[in-house]
Amino acid sequence: MEYYGFNDPLYVQFFRTLWQHISFDFPPLTSYPGLTSKEIIADTFPVSLQLGLLAMIVALGIGLPIGILAAAKKNTALDYTPMSLAMVGICLPTFVIGPLLALVFGVWLGWLNVSGWFSFSDRILPACTLGLFYAAYIARLTRGGMLETLNMDYVRSARAKGASEPRVVLVHALRGGIMPVVSFFGPALAGLISGSFVVETIFQVPGLGRHFIQAALSRDHSLILSTVLFYAALIIIANMIVDIVQILLNPKLRYQ
Amino acid sequence: MIDRIESEETQARSPWKDAWLKLSKNKLAMFGLGFFATMVALCYASPLFYPYSPTNQTLSFGATPPLTMAIEMRYDGQSEEADEVITPKEFADVYASDAQSEIARIDKGEVIYVDGLVFQKSDRIHILGTDSHGRDLLARIFQGGRISLGVGFIATFVSLLIGVMYGAVSGYMGGKIDAFLMRVVDVLYALPFLIFVILLMVVFEESDHQLLLIFLAIGAVEWLTMARIVRGQVVNLKNQDFVEAARATGVRTPTIILRHLAPNILGPVIVYSTLLVPAVMLLESTLSFLGLGVRAPNASWGTLIKEGAEKMMVYPWLLVVPAIFFSLTLFAMNFLGDGLRDALDVKSSKD
Repeated sequence: MEYYGFNDPLYVQFFRTLWQHISFDFPPLTSYPGLTSKEIIADTFPVSLQLGLLAMIVALGIGLPIGILAAAKKNTALDYTPMSLAMVGICLPTFVIGPLLALVFGVWLGWLNVSGWFSFSDRILPACTLGLFYAAYIARLTRGGMLETLNMDYVRSARAKGASEPRVVLVHALRGGIMPVVSFFGPALAGLISGSFVVETIFQVPGLGRHFIQAALSRDHSLILSTVLFYAALIIIANMIVDIVQILLNPKLRYQ
Repeated sequence: MIDRIESEETQARSPWKDAWLKLSKNKLAMFGLGFFATMVALCYASPLFYPYSPTNQTLSFGATPPLTMAIEMRYDGQSEEADEVITPKEFADVYASDAQSEIARIDKGEVIYVDGLVFQKSDRIHILGTDSHGRDLLARIFQGGRISLGVGFIATFVSLLIGVMYGAVSGYMGGKIDAFLMRVVDVLYALPFLIFVILLMVVFEESDHQLLLIFLAIGAVEWLTMARIVRGQVVNLKNQDFVEAARATGVRTPTIILRHLAPNILGPVIVYSTLLVPAVMLLESTLSFLGLGVRAPNASWGTLIKEGAEKMMVYPWLLVVPAIFFSLTLFAMNFLGDGLRDALDVKSSKD
């Protein structure tokens, strides 16, 4: 009790904890004696970051091409089929997709490991589970944005000057068409983080999300506090970067 | 086209009747409505007609796949009730001398005597099998559905209450109060909901009213969008001519709010509430899946999926069946919400 400072009056504890977090001198943890949140975060955040980045690659790699294709071939089978699948992808929660993927590819087909975080193949299932929802969402956003830009005058001009159809779609229209996707990145990051709680629990990934859940279950208040602060800082920085990128991509926003 | 003209001749349709007609033409939305209504009725009425209880354990008949035959075992052949209910596999492993033919005979309804024990076919039929404690899976799904749907309704109602009041005050006051209230919403928006709910669950952990807490915790984080929608509508409406005309003719403020403002806000609010129910159910199930939500003896679909995911290697149906129920209900609600949005959206009906 003395070691953790729980005997002090509440206001002393409050200001001491506040100062400790400002000066990056974190208090010792009750659930991991001898360690501080700094070590836990430094140890496990790279894993979560890797998972998040892989999931983002999956999401963009699947979502963007599908969205562009669906917009370019509007109202054909190439539009309806992927878009209905995307609707399914959005409705299915992560904790249903995750175990089902593990069941099919891990247990029945035996191609991949169901849990663990050792080789590259262990990263495929968690990244896909986390990425599929965003792939579906990005596909819908891309389709919407592309449909809007494909009707713009400058796209007609590009066609009129004789640019080939792939060039019109991929060069002229894409730059305006992916704007909704860029602005989705801020909320997507927040979602990737909360999604990683579930995915890390399903696939036993040694990431920060699991520590957060564990801390919540075992009432380790200083670990909860520093993890939440860390996530909040991360999200605010990411939102700021998204805002800056948006202004760089879209001159219209610069004067508002 | 023809019947439309005819119906217009007979009498003018109210906007709500209009919306209903439009909704009933949307097949996906009607499927969603039908499925959801059936689900609600089944979950809440199942104790009245469904023969198996979600808490009744039969350990010797645990983890059986759907529609497994149950074999009753009596020690002396006299007792009214079966002394034990066992699976064909246990019968074959422990009691049978010629398992295949004996099981076939039991299946036909014959009574078989082995070493003084009496075996016969039981009339227990578990349509979706049993879980590892021998509880009927369908009964557990109905019970879980009561909690999941209940959370969906009540948490939506809580966030509806907070969101509508917050948004209406913000929109009606305007000015600095409006700006301040909306900045608060902006700040809260930037943080992931799940972290908030988990924090709330941790802070209020010691309470006995754990289910009530989940309702409140989820409602407390899901009201943000509702507040924005209501505020936008109120700001739009309060300066419009028909409101001013009502005020000029001497209608009192409560009447203006009830008769002129409320019906116009109701459409978007209904649409958003319908979409909020699946979102809330999803959040609750995610919490339960992580072990932070509904605790035993209560069970929600999230806990059932969690239990299934732990045992999917050996008993895959324990995962697949609750997952199908949960996903279909979410689909149904989302389809219904999308359909309602199309039906109630005044702007889209003009073009």
